[in-house]
Amino acid sequence: MSAAAYGRLRSRKRNERMMNMATFVVVIFCAALVLFPIWWIFRTSLMTNAEIYRYPPSLTPDNWLFSNYEKTLQVFKFWKYLWNTMIIIVPACLAGTFTAALCGYAFARLRFRGKNLIWALCVGSMLLPAMVTLIPLYIGWTRYLGIHDSYLPLILPYFCGGGAFNIFLIRQFMMSIPRELDQAATIDGAGYFRILFSIIMPAIKPAMIVVALFIFIGLWNDLLQQMIYINSSDKYTIALGLTNFRGQLKSDWSLTMAATCLSFAPGVLFYLIGQRYFVEGITLTGMKG
Amino acid sequence: MITGKKMGAGLLSAALVIGVIGCGSSEDKETNTASKGTDTTSSSETSSSKTEKVKITYSMWGSAEEGSVTQAVADKFNASQDRIEVEVVSIPWETYMTKLNTQATGGQLPDTGMLKEDGVIQWSSEGMLNDVSAMYEGSDSKPLDSLAYKYQGKTVAYAAANEILLLYYNKDMFDKAGVAYPPSVLDQAWTWDEFVAAAKKLTVDKNGKHPDEEGFDANGIVQYGASVENLPWQLETWTLSNGGGFYSTDGTDVRIGEDASIEAIQKVADLYLKDHVAPLSVGQTDDGIQRTIIAGTVAMATNGAWNVGTSLNTAKEEGLNYGVAVLPYMKEKVTLNTGGANVVFSQTKHPKEAMEWLKWYNSEENNWGLISSGIWMPTLQKWYTDEALTRKWVENPNFPPYEEYKSAVVDYAQSSAARPASWFFTNYTTDFNTLLGSVLGDVWTGKTTAKDAITKNLDALKAAHTGNK
Amino acid sequence: METIHKPLKRRSRYNSSEARVAYICLIPAFLGLFFLTYAPLLGVLGISLTNWTGLKSPQFIGFDNYVQLFTTDPYIKDSIIATIYFAFLSVIGSMVYSFFIAMLLNRKIPARGLLRAIFYVPFVLPAAAIYVGWSWLYEANFGFFNFLLSQVGLNKVLFIADSSYVVPSLSLISVWLSGNLIVIFLAGLQNVPGVYHEAAEMDGAGAWKRFIHITLPSMSPIIFYNLLMSLIANLQVVTPALALTNGGPGNSSRFLTYLMYDQAFVNYKLGYACATTFVIFAILAAFTAVLFKTSSRWIYNEGGDDK
Repeated sequence: MSAAAYGRLRSRKRNERMMNMATFVVVIFCAALVLFPIWWIFRTSLMTNAEIYRYPPSLTPDNWLFSNYEKTLQVFKFWKYLWNTMIIIVPACLAGTFTAALCGYAFARLRFRGKNLIWALCVGSMLLPAMVTLIPLYIGWTRYLGIHDSYLPLILPYFCGGGAFNIFLIRQFMMSIPRELDQAATIDGAGYFRILFSIIMPAIKPAMIVVALFIFIGLWNDLLQQMIYINSSDKYTIALGLTNFRGQLKSDWSLTMAATCLSFAPGVLFYLIGQRYFVEGITLTGMKG
Repeated sequence: MITGKKMGAGLLSAALVIGVIGCGSSEDKETNTASKGTDTTSSSETSSSKTEKVKITYSMWGSAEEGSVTQAVADKFNASQDRIEVEVVSIPWETYMTKLNTQATGGQLPDTGMLKEDGVIQWSSEGMLNDVSAMYEGSDSKPLDSLAYKYQGKTVAYAAANEILLLYYNKDMFDKAGVAYPPSVLDQAWTWDEFVAAAKKLTVDKNGKHPDEEGFDANGIVQYGASVENLPWQLETWTLSNGGGFYSTDGTDVRIGEDASIEAIQKVADLYLKDHVAPLSVGQTDDGIQRTIIAGTVAMATNGAWNVGTSLNTAKEEGLNYGVAVLPYMKEKVTLNTGGANVVFSQTKHPKEAMEWLKWYNSEENNWGLISSGIWMPTLQKWYTDEALTRKWVENPNFPPYEEYKSAVVDYAQSSAARPASWFFTNYTTDFNTLLGSVLGDVWTGKTTAKDAITKNLDALKAAHTGNK
Repeated sequence: METIHKPLKRRSRYNSSEARVAYICLIPAFLGLFFLTYAPLLGVLGISLTNWTGLKSPQFIGFDNYVQLFTTDPYIKDSIIATIYFAFLSVIGSMVYSFFIAMLLNRKIPARGLLRAIFYVPFVLPAAAIYVGWSWLYEANFGFFNFLLSQVGLNKVLFIADSSYVVPSLSLISVWLSGNLIVIFLAGLQNVPGVYHEAAEMDGAGAWKRFIHITLPSMSPIIFYNLLMSLIANLQVVTPALALTNGGPGNSSRFLTYLMYDQAFVNYKLGYACATTFVIFAILAAFTAVLFKTSSRWIYNEGGDDK
């Protein structure tokens, strides 16, 4: 390389390094902004109620009252609610992921009469907010099927493909897997189901984990459905317990915020564990079309 | 490496197994609770000839803890006689009416329970509630007249507790400013102007100046003098006080369009806009007293009597020095009383037993915890008229000094100033109040006047009152 | 959504055993589509033609609910405006924000994994609690933001107590919550073939030109997916109204889904609420259709599409 070109290369590299540093600073600043509201909630959970209403508001608590968490756990049955929530989420995640894979496979790989129509119906169902079908579904479950105070209405829907969004996602991922793999397997004598289970599903493992994550988050936050289907307090989920807790404490904000922080933990944990797969999955297979 | 088929089969069976266990355990729980008679029809089976106890269910709003406290009370009732057994079901407040409504749709209502104030008349009009006027026949004391919910001349519910609106104030803030306390005796109640004047003396900006003084900075206020709640149902107080009102006394006509009503609402808004003595009312939370009196940021605040027990007793232990006073008035002395209703649902198969339970439960001795803590006020007249009973109610560390509370609350509640909130006798108060709240939205920030807001929407308000939006 | 072409009796196009497998695989989807989606949808339509209040049996009243909704309902017009305004701000805000952060994170900076996690975290937090936390920051009299403003000498802003500021304030929270889009954008950015950038650089194209002509087109399918997801989610907004503003002040945050909830679960006007539901559905369908129709014009498709 000529000296001039080398010089240009070096200055370009230096520019790039400076840009990276500047970017880093900007990103740190933005990250701090993003974390601030979470910090606000956390610091509130460590204060006394009197401190909370003080003006000007203080950025950090005077005393870090971790004892608030102890107090909260005495009244807020965190572990029980967590257990209940898991009873709903685990079957739903497993069933949803599995059935989404089944359905996605049909749309991605198989040819059959009526494929486009059924696909259109599937996509169409994405447009339906859950609120829309809430009332008829509730009447169906309680009046016609006679099911009260049970987790079934929350879990069973996930046996039906886990929702159109998830089928859509799986389909996209499956479409990006080269058909050569299928063809090789067919030559070896594998049937459609064999191909699905031995070849396709392992290949889209990251996508399945993504779907599981989406189902998790969807159920975690789904307060309204939990409210109408669950009656007895020992069946409460975390979201339900949190709502009830607020009303019960009549605005003891520090304890309420402590309970809230406790409820953050499982979601964050789940994300941190699955994060690797999540990003890997999207990166490896891309989200084309 | 596991072959795909095995993995698939494994996954499938795992999912099914977990699903079945999940279903199974919740079903187990269902049968367990079903045998205890919650929300299922077995509770309304008629007793067999073998003097079996009649089982009735009672629903209430509250947490699981509050539910078990009430169940403990119910167990006393169950033990005291052998004809009736009561099962208490607690449902969170936010979802209470939704829950009940869905139960009604499914024919799954409990026999009796609480009902939110604004739902009573509506449920009555749909035939869902029983007439309960026979409940107190022959008793030595009835609930205060203002606590009976009436539909078409019949009493369809009695309030479970009494609550009135009061003026709370922070004594330390008053002492520091050298201002006389608001009066706790009805005859000496402040006029609105006196109220505002006192509030001005208690409002300071960061330079120590009061409103009306040179150089007062409305953007730099560090302490406010007063705060008046602007929830729609509480605004009725002020419209009545000014000679107007939301409705006519029989609930048939809408009077909110009258000048007196509009002027009253504007005066409340002006506390923030013109007088600068009040913070902007944010109104969506139920911690009005904590944000004002207890935090020490506002010297006076109007709110319901229940605050004595829900927050002020703890604050008192932590050093808060507070007082109770009667509300100021514009032209007439008015306060509102209200209370959640205890009803008997018409779907019940045991109306007599239900009424007997309610009457027992409503009697104050059986509800002592809530009354002695200051959250509920008694409903039966004798507690207001018989001094021995009043002392028993008020003289305990949870309450402000006896004389003060007696005059500002007890006497106030049975004076002519205490009017029942409109949901005791008018239907569609929810529709009306929601619409009013949205109509007045911009009035509090000064973007529009009460006059404009209400006159423009008067027809809609009238329509809401008749149930068509 | 093409129509099914049935060429003259060429059954060889559809292998019958393949089709059988497909139908078996799709059993869950069939069940779901029928019982969870379309049957309830019909149910909603049916209920919207009655005056059911849940307390007594329904009576058929034809289109009265719809007529009432569009002539005398005091909320619906403001509700539609508020919803569309919110969706507009939130969708554009989230897209710009996440794309921007994804571009930043795409560079070689330390602790990328941790930073990416930080931006994503708001998405996994329980929504209702989040809104309460933000409400203190926004509080009109004693909130933190107003405190900052007063320190700098600016007037107080009433944020969610002010009808002009409430929707932007809520949109800001929505943007803050949109960390999931960042991860998707980031993955997409990493998939843009490096060769294009290098070739363009050698041809002397500056960063901006490269952005417009290489990055954006390559990302267009992903932008489409995120845009669609964001639009559908934000048009159905309800949690801020439920947890925070109750539709106020006035009607400025009375979003359509909140209005429906209010009608159905607070006022028990089930028939009426179902009519509102249909309006929501129609608006959603309209926006989605527009998005899909215009998509073919600006999406650059690398891998070919099997639609």
